This record gives sequence, structure tokens and C-alpha cells, in this order.
Amino acid sequence: MIDRREQVLAHLMLGVFAVIALAPIVRILGMSLSDPGNFSVAWDQGHFGTYMRSSVLVTSAVVVAAGLLSILAGYAFGMMRFRGEQVLFYLFLVGLMVPLEATIVPLYYDLRDLGLTDTYWALILPQAGVSVAFGTFWMRAFFRSVPRSLVEAARLDGSSSWSTLWRVVLPLGRPAVLTMVVLIFMWTWNEFLLALVMVSDEALRTAPLGLAFFQGRNTTDEALLAAGAVIVATPVVIVYVFLQRHFIRGMLSGATKG
Amino acid sequence: MGDVAFRGAVKRFGTVEAVRDLTLEVADGELMVLVGPSGSGKTTALRMLAGLEAVDAGEVAVAGRVVNDVSPRDRDVAMVFQDYALYPQMTVRDNLAFGLRRRRLAREEILRRVNATAETLGLGALLDRRPRELSGGQQQRVALGRALARRPRVLLMDEPLSNLDAALRVQARAEIKRLQQDVGTTTIYVTHDQLEALTLGDRVAVMNEGTLEQVGTPEQLYDEPVNVFVGGFIGSPAMSILPWAGGGLLLGVRPEHVRPWEEGLLGPLDGRVAYVEALGRETLVGVDTDAGARLVTVLPGRARLAVGEPLRLGLVPAGVRRFSPDGAAEDARFPEHRVGGPG
Amino acid sequence: MRRPPGEPRHVAYVYLLPGLVLFGAFVVAPLVHAAWISLFAWDGITPGEWVGLDNYEAIVSDAELRRAFVHSGVLLVFYVAIPVVIGLALAGAASRSRVRGLAALRTILFLPQVIALVVVAVTWRLIYQPTGWLGDFDLALPAVGLIGTWVAYGLCFVLFMAGVQKVPSSLYDAARVDGAGAVREFLAVTLPALRGEIAVAVTLTTIAALRNFDLVYLTTSGGPGGATTVPAFEVYQRAFRGGEVGAAAAVGVCVAAVIFVLTLTVNRVADRAART
Repeated sequence: MIDRREQVLAHLMLGVFAVIALAPIVRILGMSLSDPGNFSVAWDQGHFGTYMRSSVLVTSAVVVAAGLLSILAGYAFGMMRFRGEQVLFYLFLVGLMVPLEATIVPLYYDLRDLGLTDTYWALILPQAGVSVAFGTFWMRAFFRSVPRSLVEAARLDGSSSWSTLWRVVLPLGRPAVLTMVVLIFMWTWNEFLLALVMVSDEALRTAPLGLAFFQGRNTTDEALLAAGAVIVATPVVIVYVFLQRHFIRGMLSGATKG
Repeated sequence: MGDVAFRGAVKRFGTVEAVRDLTLEVADGELMVLVGPSGSGKTTALRMLAGLEAVDAGEVAVAGRVVNDVSPRDRDVAMVFQDYALYPQMTVRDNLAFGLRRRRLAREEILRRVNATAETLGLGALLDRRPRELSGGQQQRVALGRALARRPRVLLMDEPLSNLDAALRVQARAEIKRLQQDVGTTTIYVTHDQLEALTLGDRVAVMNEGTLEQVGTPEQLYDEPVNVFVGGFIGSPAMSILPWAGGGLLLGVRPEHVRPWEEGLLGPLDGRVAYVEALGRETLVGVDTDAGARLVTVLPGRARLAVGEPLRLGLVPAGVRRFSPDGAAEDARFPEHRVGGPG
Repeated sequence: MRRPPGEPRHVAYVYLLPGLVLFGAFVVAPLVHAAWISLFAWDGITPGEWVGLDNYEAIVSDAELRRAFVHSGVLLVFYVAIPVVIGLALAGAASRSRVRGLAALRTILFLPQVIALVVVAVTWRLIYQPTGWLGDFDLALPAVGLIGTWVAYGLCFVLFMAGVQKVPSSLYDAARVDGAGAVREFLAVTLPALRGEIAVAVTLTTIAALRNFDLVYLTTSGGPGGATTVPAFEVYQRAFRGGEVGAAAAVGVCVAAVIFVLTLTVNRVADRAART
């Protein structure tokens, strides 16, 4: 029914832009693979092993802390009625829109005064704070979708709010929690500015920061640089390939963090 | 001891009074049905008893204790929800055991009760399944089991059969009645289906727009409705209401007391056939009287009548109920020998 | 309204507290503190000097700062307008024809969104190397912009595709029966239905355009000669390289304010349009 020419044109358009999206990635991958030994060179001499470990540590801490606190706060917003609910919710909403660029300056100087710069705390705490804003918003939406009769049945059965949360309601929210975890993981792993400002000790550098310095040091060996870049990007890309539904769904729901 | 009492109970949502001044007593071991159209306040009253809605005025009492401010878990009340509200990620066994575990009963006791409940309700084979793997009827039984496993003082049921298909509903109804009699728990059952109310209830309370219209045995409600609303609501087809004595009176009469005219009946009332419903065993005939009212009569077997055909009817005096123009019943039955017409 | 007994009320605050504390301490408090710092001229070491709104005034009067915001405006074309148009075109095409492998296409097109901007910068710097555009005074900004386009059009496509799939096919059938061609159908059916999604796309891409530190820092460092400087870069530069912490804070607060206003405006417009 639809014009054959149109069909071809549509496929062509989509194909071209897909190729454009893929091409730079394929190129850098190809460059890194031109000498596979580059990967172990980058890992050891390039210290990417250290950088990755830092990233894993920071990202895990943020995901666990922010995830847990978001579930708790989201539960309160989504299933309880209390005074000040409206105001606090708008506060979280506004907080979601605050860019790191606006808070990085005071964060640095305050953490420096507390002696926390050049520690993992300087990377974990601010990112956990930002992630909690998103996570609370996200989990609240989930909790609001749970049928009230389920919660009432649990209440009649003598379940406290705590046991209702963990035994009755949250088991229904595995996809929602997974999406939240996946997004916080991606944003935290990819974060650069915070690490740049807070960390000067090379041992604490996260992967993106490590790559940035590596680029500065490595103006000639492009293949090695490419290997470093691939190492840094791989974890998120792998998680994405397996859980893309969650990534996309989460970002489409108007998540406003960059 | 699980008697229940509402004393002047009121529930408001904003400016709307969902339950107005409800005073009702349910005896220990009784199956009381709350029936009424949607918005009548029956479910709200049930939820007030469960502790899921606050009581704005008046009292709600269980076993003699006022429970207005008592948390649901401490009222010793269990509820079967209209959508069953089974815990989706738990097996049937865990669903039945959940409330018992929350109350920290001994493991052997929990096991015993779960198995006993499962056996009573025929759920033995389903214990390891999840709710989504069960049919509607099976889910309904699990919901009932979850409530009964707790051995509550009072059992509340919120339209538990409305999501089942008709045939299953009839069967489930009979099972619930039998079960309640065996177990003997005071039960409050909410439904909008008046037939269900009449067949299930030891007593039935009819509610309308937040007000309790009448409470009594099914027979009392059927034979002696206290107002036009109850008369029209209870019984299917409904009681026919017609003006009498120049509008100074309303008569309520059930189809079985409307007959083709003969001496000794009240009337005669002339009219034309409006519709004919052949039900096999009997035929329902709707007749528009010349005076303007609609009368429904039931005739045995298959009545050969055509729409528009003229018909002359009479009312059996003993079956006629008299109402004043505002709808409330007058206590005296219509005197047997009075003949006369709508005047 | 009286609360039913047993419904959690005060315990809500207990659940809320840890998250609120973390959020308050590391998002809200710093924002307030940033506003405070922005009222001072401070080098980060010696005590600062009160200057009131001078730092904000400088954003308008200082050529470099003004230029940073102008560049942001230019980048809006690359980061927002072009990706939205591309996304609409692709979604429009996909909605009209049955496309095979749509799921795979979505995965591929969305991929640039999940890659760290640092990696994106490294990758594109290598691509731009032989062209020298990143070193060209006039071409550097568009070159950076194109990177942003590349990152964003997949997001827009996926967003719009999700919106298109919510449109009842009966609307498309009706348009087709009426003899609507591709463009007419797009304007009459697809575009109005995507109002909400367009609002989200514009919001997300605008925020990315305004923040935009990573790409600029790693491809051009704001150069050559400040040709690609953006507000986010100025914040970094002035606070940590230039000893103008107060000024940096003011720029940061400005960026936050612009994002805030823009988000509200876009959503207000979208709401009003949806109501008509």
C-alpha cells in the first residue's frame, strides 16, 4: 500500500544515520584492535587498571547508597501521606535540574576545608546526592503504580511499613529498580568534571579522568589511546547491550539529569 | 466472641457524606450482608470496620471494644478484597502464611493452619503456584484462605464474587455460605447484587446514598419493605409502584401478586402490553396502565400476548404494600375487602 | 481529613531523612553556597571581598563571558535543533513504512548516548585530526557542535519513535484514505501527537548543550583563542585556573537559572499546546 519508493527511502535514511552513529565507534574499536597488545599496555603501563578499579569502587558505592536511599525516600513519597509532602517533592524536582557546573565550585572548596578532596568521598558523596534526586523521583513513580488494595491487605495482615516495603511491594519493582541502577551506574561511571576538580592523586583517578590525562600524554600513539578509550567505554556499553530496554525506558521518562 | 456494632458512624470525603449516621449491630456468628447500589456507602462502612478508613463521628466496635483508633492489625479482623489483592510474587502457601508470620506464630502452628486452610478450600495442589498461574475462582479461594487462616474474630468480604463469571458465582456463593456456617465466624459481606444478598445473608442491610434503609431477614425485606426504595431494590423483577387514591397513596406490588382481573382482586386496572419476556418456565409481562403506571406481572408457562394488546389486571390484596407519597411504608396491610380503583 | 489508624504518617520522615540529608548536603546547600560565593570576588585562598552583583554584571559586560554564552546559543542549533529535526524525520519515515530491524536500529542509534563524553571527545578528536577544524578559529565551534549533534539525534529518534507508537493507527489510516502524502501526514498526524516528546527532547538536549564541559575541555580547551569557550568551561577556568572563584560561581548559578527557566518554559508551552 505504501509507495515502494517511500519504503526504500525510509530504510535508506535510517540506514545512513545508523551508519553515521556507528562509524566513529567502529573506527576507534578498529584502531584499538590494530594491535591487541595495546590493551595490556594501556592497562599496566597506562595505569588503566588502576583507573578502572577506582571507577568500580566509586560507582558501586554511589549505586548502592543512592539506590537504597532512593527506594526509602520514594516509598515515603509514593505511599505515605505526610505534612510538607508537596514542598519536599518540589524541592527534589528542582534539585534534579541543578547542573553540577553550578555546584562544583562550592563543593570543591567545602570539601577541601573538610580535608576530603583527593579522597573517594569527594567523588561518592556529591554523586550520591544528585543520584538520590533522580532515584527518589523514579521510585516514587513506581510506588504510586502499586495497587492500594495490596498494601491494605498487608496492613490487615499485620505487616509494618518496613516489611510491606521489602516483602510485598518492592518485589514487584524489580524492573524499576534495575532501570534506576543502570542509569545511576552510567551517569556515575561517565562523570568527568567532578573527578577532574576533586582528584589530583593519580591513584584515585577514575577511568574518564585517566583517559583525559592519557590523551594529554599520548599525542603520537593513536592506537594506544584508542585502546584506553575502548577500555573506559566498554563496561557501560556492555551493560547497555544487555539491558538497553531499561536504559531507554529510563531516559525517555523525562529524566532530566544530563 | 465477634459481634460488631456501628453506632452513629459517619464518614465524610470532603463535603460528601459517604456514610451517614450508621447504626447497625451484627450478632456473633451471623452472616450480615450489606447491599445497595454503587455510592451507597456499603464498602466505605466495611472499610471503616477494617480500619482502612477513619471514623469521622460515632463509633465502631468489635467484640464490645470501640476500635475507632485501633490499627487494623490489632482489630483481629480479616478481609477478602474485590480484586483479591494476593501477593503476586509469593506462592499460595506464602500468601496464606504471610499474616501468620507477621504475627510471629510458631512455625509448626503456621504449617498446621496453612495446610488445614488449604484442605478446607481445596487448595492443596496449588500451594506452590503463584497467583498469576491460578484461575479467577482459585484466586478467590486463596484470598478467602488467607483471611481464614488467621482465625479472625470478624471476616469482611468486599464483593468477592463480582469478578467471577455467572455460573462460578452461584457455586462459590453456596460454598461461602456453607463455609461460614461451618466455621462460624461473624461475617460482613458487601455486594451490589440483591439476589446474592437474599440467598447468602442471615440478615441483610440495605443501604442507599450513605443511609441504612432497612435491616432484616431476607423474608422481611422481601415481604415488608419499609420504603419504596427497598421495595424497588429487593427482588427481581422489582416491585411495581403505582399511585393510588388520587396520588394520596403509593402501592407497591410484586409481579406474582399481579393477576389477570377476576373478582376479589383489587382493581380492575386496564392497560396495554408494553413488553413480553419469555423465560421458559414463566413469562414476565410489562403493562402500561391507562393511569400511566407500569405494572409487571408474571404468568405461568408461555403466555401468548402481543405488544400493544389490551389487558385487564387485578392486584392480590394480601400482597399489596401501602406507601405514603414520600415513599415510606404504612404499617397496616391493605384491607382485604376493599375494592375500588385508582381514583 | 482524619487519617485511618495504622496508616504510616510520622514514620514517613524517617524513610525520607537519609536521602534528604544526602541530597540537601550535596545539592541544595552547595547551590545556596554558590549563590553566596557569587557575591564576592575571591581567589580561593585569601579572604574574599564583597562585590554584590558585580560578577553577574560582568557576564553581560565582560566580552569573554558574553562570548561564552553566545557560543552556547550557537551550540543550541547543533545540540537541539538539528537533532530534533533529524529525529523527527527518521521517526516520521519509520512511522509510515514498516521498517525491518527497528529494534536493532534503535539500539544502534541510541548508542552514542551511553558512551562517556570523554571517550566521545577522544574519538572525535582523532577523526578531526586530519582536517584541522578543531584548530580553526571559525570552524572549531561548528565542529564541536557537530559532535553534539552526533550524540543527540539518536535520543531524539528513540523518544519520537516511542511517541509515534502511541498514536492509534486509525489516525494514520484515516489520513491515508484522505489521500495524504508523506509530508502532509507527518504535519497533520505525527507532529501534533509528538508535542510532549518534543518538549522532553528539547529539554534534555538543551540541558546537555548548556552543561557541555567534557567535550569542550577535551577537544579544544575552549580554544583556539576562546573560539569555543562555553559557560561551563568558564566556570572551571575561572575557579580553578584563574583565581576568580566568585565570578565562576556566578556563571554557574546563571547556567542553573537558564536551565531552570528553559525547562519551565518548554513544559508550559507544551502543556498549553496540548490543551488546545
